[in-house]
Amino acid sequence: MNKAILSVVLGAALLATGCSNLKSDTESTRDLNDPSVSGRTLAEQVCAICHGVDGNSTNPVFPRLAGQQPAYLTEQLKAFRSHDRSDVLGYKYMWGIARNLTNKQIDELAAYYKGQTPIPGAAKNAGLVAQGDAIFHHGVEATSVPACASCHGPQGHGHDGFPRLASQHQDYILKQLSVFKHTNDRYAGMGAMMSPVAYNLSGDQARAVAAYLSVQR
Amino acid sequence: MAAIESVKKFFLTYKDTLISFYVYFVRCDGVIGFFVDGLLTWGVRERMNVLTFKKKFNLLHKIESMAAPMWRAVAQKVTWQGVSIALLTAVSTVASMDAAALPLFARQTGQNCQACHAGGKFPELTPYGRMFKLTGYTLGKRQLIPIAATLSFSSTSAPSASGAPGGAQNGGTGTQANGTPTFDKASLFAGGKLTDSIGAMAQYTFNNYAGSGHQSGRMYSNNADIRYAKHIVNDQTDLVWGIDVNNNPGFEDVWNSSGVYGYGVVPGATGTGSALLPMLLSQQLGQSVVGAGAYAYWNKTLYVDLAGYRTGDGVFSFLTHNYNGQQTYIQGTNPYVRVALTHDWGTSNAMIGYTYLDANVYESNFGAFGNVGGPTDEHRDNMVDFQYQYLSDPHVVTVEMEDANEQVLYGGGGASDSSNAFQAKASYTYEAHYGTALSYFNVTNSSNNVTAANPSGTLANGFGAFQTANLGSEGWTPEVFFMPVRNVRIGLQYTLFSRDNGTTLNASQNDTTFLYAWTAF
Repeated sequence: MNKAILSVVLGAALLATGCSNLKSDTESTRDLNDPSVSGRTLAEQVCAICHGVDGNSTNPVFPRLAGQQPAYLTEQLKAFRSHDRSDVLGYKYMWGIARNLTNKQIDELAAYYKGQTPIPGAAKNAGLVAQGDAIFHHGVEATSVPACASCHGPQGHGHDGFPRLASQHQDYILKQLSVFKHTNDRYAGMGAMMSPVAYNLSGDQARAVAAYLSVQR
Repeated sequence: MAAIESVKKFFLTYKDTLISFYVYFVRCDGVIGFFVDGLLTWGVRERMNVLTFKKKFNLLHKIESMAAPMWRAVAQKVTWQGVSIALLTAVSTVASMDAAALPLFARQTGQNCQACHAGGKFPELTPYGRMFKLTGYTLGKRQLIPIAATLSFSSTSAPSASGAPGGAQNGGTGTQANGTPTFDKASLFAGGKLTDSIGAMAQYTFNNYAGSGHQSGRMYSNNADIRYAKHIVNDQTDLVWGIDVNNNPGFEDVWNSSGVYGYGVVPGATGTGSALLPMLLSQQLGQSVVGAGAYAYWNKTLYVDLAGYRTGDGVFSFLTHNYNGQQTYIQGTNPYVRVALTHDWGTSNAMIGYTYLDANVYESNFGAFGNVGGPTDEHRDNMVDFQYQYLSDPHVVTVEMEDANEQVLYGGGGASDSSNAFQAKASYTYEAHYGTALSYFNVTNSSNNVTAANPSGTLANGFGAFQTANLGSEGWTPEVFFMPVRNVRIGLQYTLFSRDNGTTLNASQNDTTFLYAWTAF
């Protein structure tokens, strides 16, 4: 009997410790439902697990965010929050992360990643990179693919809502081009203008552009 | 024999979501019944645009068309078994229509099971899932009702008269009658995020075959893990450290090597057959002991965990209500040491690690004598393990290997015994829906005290030796599985024994077919 009472007391004490600590420890919390947590803390404690603390992710399933244009990142996080962006991995991983983010936290996250230094990948196939270089700067006349540089900038750094593509993972770019080409999952906002571009790009051309961008600084 | 009499299709619209129902009318043993299967995973509370919706609906329709012949085949082949498993799936898919009816951690993080489980298949964890556990289950949004449940149904059939040899494996679960579909276990999970630094995962299980003679069900406390964790991140350092209390050595680990969430973890699975496994794999100390420890994971490279385990009595007895009312008593504090090196590159991640457990188990054990002292047997376990994972979309591969050795040093005199286990498993999932796995096991047990003069292996002090027979086994288990929705898995395993009960003679008599359905909500 005494043992039972002790267990209850111990359990209650544990719960009490928990309940008295309801307010977030804003420096090292992983609470995604507390508007007082800064974007920086979220970036370090949550986002970093997949995207890297400096925004240079290891696994190409997760995009590199270092140096990304804040306007683009803001739009994407809001699109995850509103479910307007619904590509498969996007909704599986990001809807939950973004569901309770405040606009302030989103702005802070965007500023955090803008401040990180992107690390480009290593070139594996010089021929493919050269081919991608040509497509990126001049487009493909035969299929009316415009030069990517006309919106994403001559160095692929992007501006405003046009995302930075330089140093992005090759596989991630390919995956997104496929999403634009075959689905309407990223149709919301500025994503709509990528559909016809991606539609006219062949698989080999997409691979070349992605290879080129992944090694740009 | 059951046969599907007819299938009717219904549509139902709710807000911006359309749900398709298939009603199967089934005749079985002269009785006509029906079950409803509604495949919809995207909850009614989730908003989506019309184009996305149409696409997803088409996908559902495709999955359903593919699933229908499978139901038909299952129902026709295995009488009520097919019906019960289909019924379970139907119930769980209906349950999963509501976005709130998802497992606890999925509700807490708002993410798909796939974020933490490789290819959406439990128990294999992704690097993200490991960080979720190491940071104390605290990521996400605290839940008002921090509870989840799992159910598992299965059917085992083996040609040998004694039924499935593995019935008593995997933590000593119950015995299934040969070929009869059974409801195995229901588990209730509680915990998740409690505060910013404290989280828990506690399991309470109803085992339908745990009662006396395996004829009745019984509730018991299962694995419990309570953590306090901090994550320090800056430009140079990424350090996770924490304190952990649990009741099953190895439960604190985040790779899938220990017996707790490792090889053949599906309830009732054949596992390694008759063999006696080292403590680290057998879970013999599970729910008998309580351990406290500290761990650190530095720069996603080096993981170290040190813990001590004691008999879980006194104030801790609420953690050790064992399924069979028996408790293994250990002497003093028993060390558990875990070191692992990890590396991530591209789509791959790998781990090589080492685990040590030294448990002094009273010879006068198993309840009758209690924690009365007397001689102890020292079970000294050393395990080297390896894991490789390829995480991409749509392909996910997890390969794991464990090589464990246990020396049993008898306190009551007598020659020491050993148990050596090698296990390997490779799993593959495609689009987090379809998958296959191949497992291999090879276990050898010595019985050094059994001689012609001493056939029962009695020790000098009159107690029995822990190992009194060569029960080693070797075999392969191919498996196919299907996850129609993310919280339901239906799988078929076939275990081929090349050696069982220490002999290759007639080992194939123990070859076992194991069909299961599992769901979490």
